[in-house]
Amino acid sequence: MSTSTSTSLDPAMKPSAASMPMIELNGVSKFYRTETIETLALSKLNLTVPTGEFLSIMGPSGCGKSTLLNIMGLIDEPSEGTVTLAGERITDYNGSYIARFRNEQLGFIFQSFHLINDLSVVDNVELPLLYRKVGGKERRRLAQEALEHVGLSNRMSHFPNQLSGGQKQRVAIARAIVGRPKIILADEPTGNLDSRMGDEIMDILLRLNKDLGTTIVMVTHDERMAKKTHRLIRLSDGERVS
Amino acid sequence: MIKNYFLLALKVLKRKPFYTFVSLFGISFTLMILMVLTSLFDAILGNNKPLTDRDQLVIMPMIERTRTETDTILRIDTIAMQGGEMRYDTSYTYEDDIVSTSNGPIAYPFLEKHFTNLDGAVNYAFYNDNTHIDGYLEGRKFTLNSYYVTHTYWEIFDFNFRHGTEFYEADVESANQVVVITDKAAREYFGEVSEGVIGQEMVLGEKTFTVRGIVERPLSDSPMFAGDIYMPVTTTDPRELSSTEVYGGFGAVFLAKSPEGRQAIMDEINSFAENYQMPADSYHDAIEMFNSTFFEGYAMGLLGERDPKVATRTLFIPIIVLILLFVALPLINLVNLNNGRVQERRSEIGVRKAFGANSRDILLQFIFENLVLTAIGGVIGMALALGLISYVNQQDVLGITRLSSSPEVFLYFLLVVLMFGFLSGILPAYRMSRTNVANSLR
Repeated sequence: MSTSTSTSLDPAMKPSAASMPMIELNGVSKFYRTETIETLALSKLNLTVPTGEFLSIMGPSGCGKSTLLNIMGLIDEPSEGTVTLAGERITDYNGSYIARFRNEQLGFIFQSFHLINDLSVVDNVELPLLYRKVGGKERRRLAQEALEHVGLSNRMSHFPNQLSGGQKQRVAIARAIVGRPKIILADEPTGNLDSRMGDEIMDILLRLNKDLGTTIVMVTHDERMAKKTHRLIRLSDGERVS
Repeated sequence: MIKNYFLLALKVLKRKPFYTFVSLFGISFTLMILMVLTSLFDAILGNNKPLTDRDQLVIMPMIERTRTETDTILRIDTIAMQGGEMRYDTSYTYEDDIVSTSNGPIAYPFLEKHFTNLDGAVNYAFYNDNTHIDGYLEGRKFTLNSYYVTHTYWEIFDFNFRHGTEFYEADVESANQVVVITDKAAREYFGEVSEGVIGQEMVLGEKTFTVRGIVERPLSDSPMFAGDIYMPVTTTDPRELSSTEVYGGFGAVFLAKSPEGRQAIMDEINSFAENYQMPADSYHDAIEMFNSTFFEGYAMGLLGERDPKVATRTLFIPIIVLILLFVALPLINLVNLNNGRVQERRSEIGVRKAFGANSRDILLQFIFENLVLTAIGGVIGMALALGLISYVNQQDVLGITRLSSSPEVFLYFLLVVLMFGFLSGILPAYRMSRTNVANSLR
């Protein structure tokens, strides 16, 4: 069982500005066009996230937070600007290379968990490894390890429908970390949880960041959660306001 | 990965039993009908015994005599009214016109005289057109379809002998009263199909024949071997054997070295007919020998069409179109069902892509899932089809033709199942594989 105590980052652990940037966005804009209207979701955004940083993004609904996260996660393409992840400038958003890059370097955590209900907990966690051609036994071992990390090793053969919201999110975290990605992108990971469960999830993320040095970018509406991270940026109408 | 896909496919099928039932019902019923149809086609047209050399055969079932006369044709070219009178210009042409035709099976002596030495044929056989003969046993009367055949008949048609042997050249030369019967005839006449029937006597018409062999009744209903009993040609009505006419009761079949060799035989036959001099006292002045390949002959016989190419087109193109339509309708329905099914799994596809699946992985996953569904439907369909085929054959529902369950039928069936699964899965799978990840995770 995980604890419900809340922890904050040690300022001493905060990555220095001099460390290598893990995420770099230059002049990133995103607009959606229909025949009659053009909607601007992000406007000429510049952002650098150093390796090992835990960054949170806040802003009102529709300000472009999730769009920004999707662009960082290479599941959406910027209309303008460049994205550089782990030192690699990403130019093609459609190819198998991007799929492999996502598989090896990125982990996702979603507000509504997005677990596959037909798969057991352990099969859900194994998912990223499936596309990495890892053997069955090794997959199971790594998934087991990831589940232990989030305190759910006793729920391996359960199915998502048998779990509480907090447990589902922990499975989602295990799935995000099983492939040891350099970056974790969390879209309101505590949004669907009560505050106690939210704290539990936040603790796991903080521990991940601290123990494994994983760079984490988290979108949140919760000021309390955001304050626990190294840095907070705010968006409004697709622009960075702080 | 495949194991994973397989297990997931089973789970997905279990998750929505009603959808699975509807899909499986459609698939298995369609596949059952397709298998029965394939089985029927294979039975009639397949190269099953005794038609192993089907594609090397040229069949000549009939002869036609024609009389051509030169006719004067008066043609009115123009009509005009002049001074209240109708005037017209005319012209005359002289054209050959066929004024009389008659056709029918061929006389045995005519065949023997002219068709035993065709250059292109490696073998030939003559057989009489199906006639009925009465058989008697212990006060009971049986009406049997009888064939009088040359000994080479057994070389061209490789019947499956269940007991005994065929009759040989010496039997034909000596007009030995021996008979080869089908297993169906043996069962009806003797009440059994066993070695014990060989050597037993059958009273056929006014003669007594000794059973030489028992053959498995062919699946096809071809007029070349639709008999219950087969006897040496020399035991037929002596008038048939000494006829001086061109008409009689016989047909001929020629074996070419290869499928390509058939044309040479047909050319030779046609050339013979063109150059044939009719006797001076004959009313008719020319002959035509009907000849065709097996498929053409089947179409010609069924449609009563004389042109082999037209007959083949007229018969087979509508059949192919109908079958395609029959397959297309459930296929479209299944594509529609699959579309709905994959739409429900947009979020799963989004997650898979977010965690590293590329479009090809998604495409393969959904095609594989569909193949699993179709394979299950295929197994059910096959079981239903086998039951139906067995029932149809046991009850002799189709008369002479029985349904085939040869390995070829299973092979075609397997191909149809794979094609069905692939085609019904590919479009929905392709659409989903192109899904935008961000949209599907909203």
